[in-house]
Amino acid sequence: MSKLALTLTINGERHEILTEPHRTLLDVLRADLGLTGTKENCLEAECGVCTVLLDGAAVNACILLAAQCQGRAVLTIEGLARHGDLHPLQRAFIDHGAVQCGYCIPGMILSAQAYLQEHPSPTEDDVRAALAGNLCRCTGYQKIAEAVLAVARDRSARR
Amino acid sequence: MATSEPRVVGKSLPRMDGAGKVTGTAVYAADFALPGMLVGKVFRSAEPHARIMRLDTARARALPGVRAVMTAADVPDVRYGGALKDETVFARSKVRYVGQPVAAVAATTPEAADAALAAIEVVYESLPAVLDLDAALAPGAPLIHEEWASYTAIPILHRDGNVCNRARIVVGDVERGFEEADRIFEHRFRTGMVHQGYTEPRAAVAAWDSSGQVTVWSNTQLPFEVQNTLAEILQMAPSKIRVVVPGIGGGFGGKLRVGVEHFAAFLAKATGRPVKVMTTSVEELTAAYPRQGTVVELKTGVTKDGRITAKAGRIWFDTGAFAGSGPGVASVATLVLAGPYKIPNLHLEGFAVYTNKTNCGSFRAPSGPQANFAVESQMDVIADALDLDPLELRLKNIVREGDEGPTGQVLQAVGLEECLRKAAAAIGWRDRRPARWRGKGLACGWWTTTGGSSGVYVKINPDGTVALNTGAAEIGTAALTGAAQVLAEELGVDLADINVVSADTFSTPFDFGAQGSRTAFAVGNACRAAVDDLKGRIFALAAAQLGVSADACHLADKHVLADGKRISLADLARLSQQTGGGLIAQGTFIAPPTAYDSKRVDGHVYPAFHSPSFHAHAVDLSIDPETGDVTIHKYVVAQDVGFAMNPTYIEGQIEGGVAQGLGQALSEEIVYENGRVLNANLTDYKMPTTLDMPRVETILVQHPSLVGPYGAKGVGEPPNIEPPAAVANAVAAATGLRLTSLPITAEHIALALRDAGA
Amino acid sequence: MSFEYHEPTSLAEAVALGARFGDDGQFLAGGTDLIIQMHRGKLRPRHVVSLHRVSGLDAIDANGAVHVGALVTHRALERFPAFRGPLRALVEGAEVVGGHQVRNVGTVGGNIVNASPAADVVPVLLTLDASVTCLSPGGERTLRLEDFLIGSGRTARRPDELLTGVRFAGLAPQSATAFLKAGRRRAMEISVVCVAGRLTLDASGERCLEARIALGAVAPRTLRAHEAERFLEHRALTAETLREAAELAVAACQPISDVRASARYRRLLVETLVPRVLARCVERVREQAS
Repeated sequence: MSKLALTLTINGERHEILTEPHRTLLDVLRADLGLTGTKENCLEAECGVCTVLLDGAAVNACILLAAQCQGRAVLTIEGLARHGDLHPLQRAFIDHGAVQCGYCIPGMILSAQAYLQEHPSPTEDDVRAALAGNLCRCTGYQKIAEAVLAVARDRSARR
Repeated sequence: MATSEPRVVGKSLPRMDGAGKVTGTAVYAADFALPGMLVGKVFRSAEPHARIMRLDTARARALPGVRAVMTAADVPDVRYGGALKDETVFARSKVRYVGQPVAAVAATTPEAADAALAAIEVVYESLPAVLDLDAALAPGAPLIHEEWASYTAIPILHRDGNVCNRARIVVGDVERGFEEADRIFEHRFRTGMVHQGYTEPRAAVAAWDSSGQVTVWSNTQLPFEVQNTLAEILQMAPSKIRVVVPGIGGGFGGKLRVGVEHFAAFLAKATGRPVKVMTTSVEELTAAYPRQGTVVELKTGVTKDGRITAKAGRIWFDTGAFAGSGPGVASVATLVLAGPYKIPNLHLEGFAVYTNKTNCGSFRAPSGPQANFAVESQMDVIADALDLDPLELRLKNIVREGDEGPTGQVLQAVGLEECLRKAAAAIGWRDRRPARWRGKGLACGWWTTTGGSSGVYVKINPDGTVALNTGAAEIGTAALTGAAQVLAEELGVDLADINVVSADTFSTPFDFGAQGSRTAFAVGNACRAAVDDLKGRIFALAAAQLGVSADACHLADKHVLADGKRISLADLARLSQQTGGGLIAQGTFIAPPTAYDSKRVDGHVYPAFHSPSFHAHAVDLSIDPETGDVTIHKYVVAQDVGFAMNPTYIEGQIEGGVAQGLGQALSEEIVYENGRVLNANLTDYKMPTTLDMPRVETILVQHPSLVGPYGAKGVGEPPNIEPPAAVANAVAAATGLRLTSLPITAEHIALALRDAGA
Repeated sequence: MSFEYHEPTSLAEAVALGARFGDDGQFLAGGTDLIIQMHRGKLRPRHVVSLHRVSGLDAIDANGAVHVGALVTHRALERFPAFRGPLRALVEGAEVVGGHQVRNVGTVGGNIVNASPAADVVPVLLTLDASVTCLSPGGERTLRLEDFLIGSGRTARRPDELLTGVRFAGLAPQSATAFLKAGRRRAMEISVVCVAGRLTLDASGERCLEARIALGAVAPRTLRAHEAERFLEHRALTAETLREAAELAVAACQPISDVRASARYRRLLVETLVPRVLARCVERVREQAS
């Protein structure tokens, strides 16, 4: 089975990868590039802990072949904070007590980020619908929704 | 002790480990890797009950990339376990559940490991499978453990064939109590098996060093217990086994005991390379430690004005092929069956029963939701029959300050009445049926703060920061932040000055583990003990430096103050390092035993609830009478937390616990058919999503415990207990239907309404 | 799970590769069904032909007749402005497929070819009398979607064919669609039962001219309730006739009992959801008229 030579752009950096075709973006991120901020669990697009942004859209890295990401921009949780400053969503999740075990949080933050980019003034129901593909077992979602809403309101206030 | 106005405890300060978690830099056991690491996977039984006639691993061993294949023949013949040692690493002559480990492989890639699993040849001879409680308890039932009598167990257990424990509470004379009753109510309930649903699989990496010591990085909640179990299994001294917890992505009791650590350790030894073993979703839903399904029979006698005169009950736990936490859970259940009520005559029994299913374990408040579902459902039936308000019936019977618990313990700091009244008020209890097909339900309960000891080292660094070294594992509750808040309060520093090092059996003191809602309570108190010790040394040093008497010293604002003079803790630490080895102290805490009447209990592993918490839940919901769909309008929890060490994270525990409780109430169940799980994937094991969870209103009630730090009680488990009963009671109010089986799905409601002619 | 990976850059190349590999190959669109089935060991293709560099298959054309390219994602379907009106059921079906992450990459074509009897957009397409086009080296053919779906996971696609799109005629005036899904939770659900409906009413809005009802998860393939449809045509739409139509729909379905639901409950859901879907169509026609 021949390996594929791929150029993947992850968090703005180009990576030259040589890998078997069946390997997923999640495999490459975690095992090859040491970017373990994107998590693994069900491997069947049912839980969302592997959520990354692909050209700005939230996707499950566990069922995306690395090969499908050639020529596209991938954003992982490691790419969100800029120069050591926490992204407002990261800050808000901490401030609102939305982080418990934290395992679902990278995926949750990225789903929220993708959503807020396109929907700057959501209601709580909107936010919950936007995060319905990210399971959390610790928080019951309440403080997560509050954190996302707070960021949205903050951004609106500053406009 | 603190000054009159707490600076740090009681405040909703952000958790200390948040930054790593939101940036993806925090390393969980599932993320942990070492150079040269191999992938380990487990070969599991495909039969629920069978003899192994032939097991051949030769083809697997020969495959490219495969570095080891191990079976029972390759490991010491050891039975391990908790109260009852009935488990083996691999099945020997017999398999007892679909999913039981039969072999393990280590290979260079996941694909090679999968190929090795596929190449293992096994021939089974089927045995009659014991599929459920009825089958297990029937006369002449096949024995799942033919040699059960030869197993090592704590002497207190009552074991017989497929029953691996029978625990009992007897108080007074129930028969006389029933004679005194005007009405007697008898019900049978059933609850399903549910999984903790942590989003991080169980994972372990093991590596041996040249001195014969093995280090295991694992997401266990109990590193010291895992260390001991591995010592038994590997037949080594515990001191040669180091268990380290890098980080845990949720546990809820499912990550207490060895799950993959032993496989990793054996495979690493056999290959001379580090090995990582991680469970898959399928393995989690077929071969983990889920919450036992149960059957409950409850008989309660009451006077016509609603005073309970007697209660008899039996709860059977389907604990699967190995005892797991069954014997202990069966004990705890009897206290939950009694409920937080004054009942003069009790006869309550809990049974842990073997079947050919996965061995069940502990899940957040083990036995709580199952037994409480029965008790609190029946209370509402009683209220309805006597034409009493369910709230009034409870208020008439609940325990209050100074009352006795079911095993004779004297109850103190009893906040239950306040919880009930506040929850009822918040849900608008006066209008219990606000519309057609809409109703409100109440449920209340009590729970323990598990004992066990915790030790800490506290060290003040020359820069004024403080190191808190604890054997406890942080499972996500922010308990260690809470403990650090206690430490900061006592030392007169800020939370930001504290750094926590945790959960390494080599270098951190013993901790009984993150279980039973005990961590903030016990580690917080250990910190207070450490500070008491440290103060002596700090003040002696300060006194010498400042020329004051040690008695005049006190801690505030990161300094020692005395007679108008001050010196910083940083300076003292630096001085101490130069002259006396540094400012470091040890603190330990173990909760004093709770006195109870030992004559009342038998076969009982958990005879009293320590520093008990009390709680009441209320829910307002509507039913779609055609589809049976449930819509929750409002959910309220009033919980007596003793002292709210960090209100935001306590709310988080309550909101999350209710989510798991509602999952058990409405949608979750591991479904077995003929000994096989039908829904071993997250598509069909239905945990609540954002759209399924209502907002939860939290009311923190504080009746300070006599033992906990600043009066705190354990808070993590209780919120998981009352949701099923609260929901069942609200559904009954909305529909007139009394549903006695969990989960209460839309299908159950819709079909029951149809059958009732609605 | 090893395979050879191919990335054609044109439709012709994709079709040629598909024809060459036949049953040894699988086309890869979003992968939300294919990759999962491969992970579970249910499908083991020796060749995977990715379509992500093939252009021309991801457009929606809605001038009169509607053509949806096979690679249109559920997300794009959800957002297409022209589907907000009488064709709203397309959005309602699309927006309940998995979570956002799945909808961002999962395609309409992939969903049709996967042929799950519980698919959500498929019943809506059936109520629109949709047809699909398949391209092979031998040319293009068009089949009615109803004929394309054969059974659970089975379609009339030949091994050398690529599904390129689905089309349906524009709606007549006085028409509306609706879609309802039943499941054990409110998101991330595979339908326990789903119902799609399309009604075309007469000028008065009282009488049905044309009816379409499609049911998901009650048979080996998504089902049209033909008898119920015929019953409604030219009838006044009252609560009674909607109920009778529902009973005919129940009679047409062959639900199984599985871990998700019993057959009895599935029938009950059809009985309940069909009148609700149809009533919603009526309501929408009236709203559109005013």
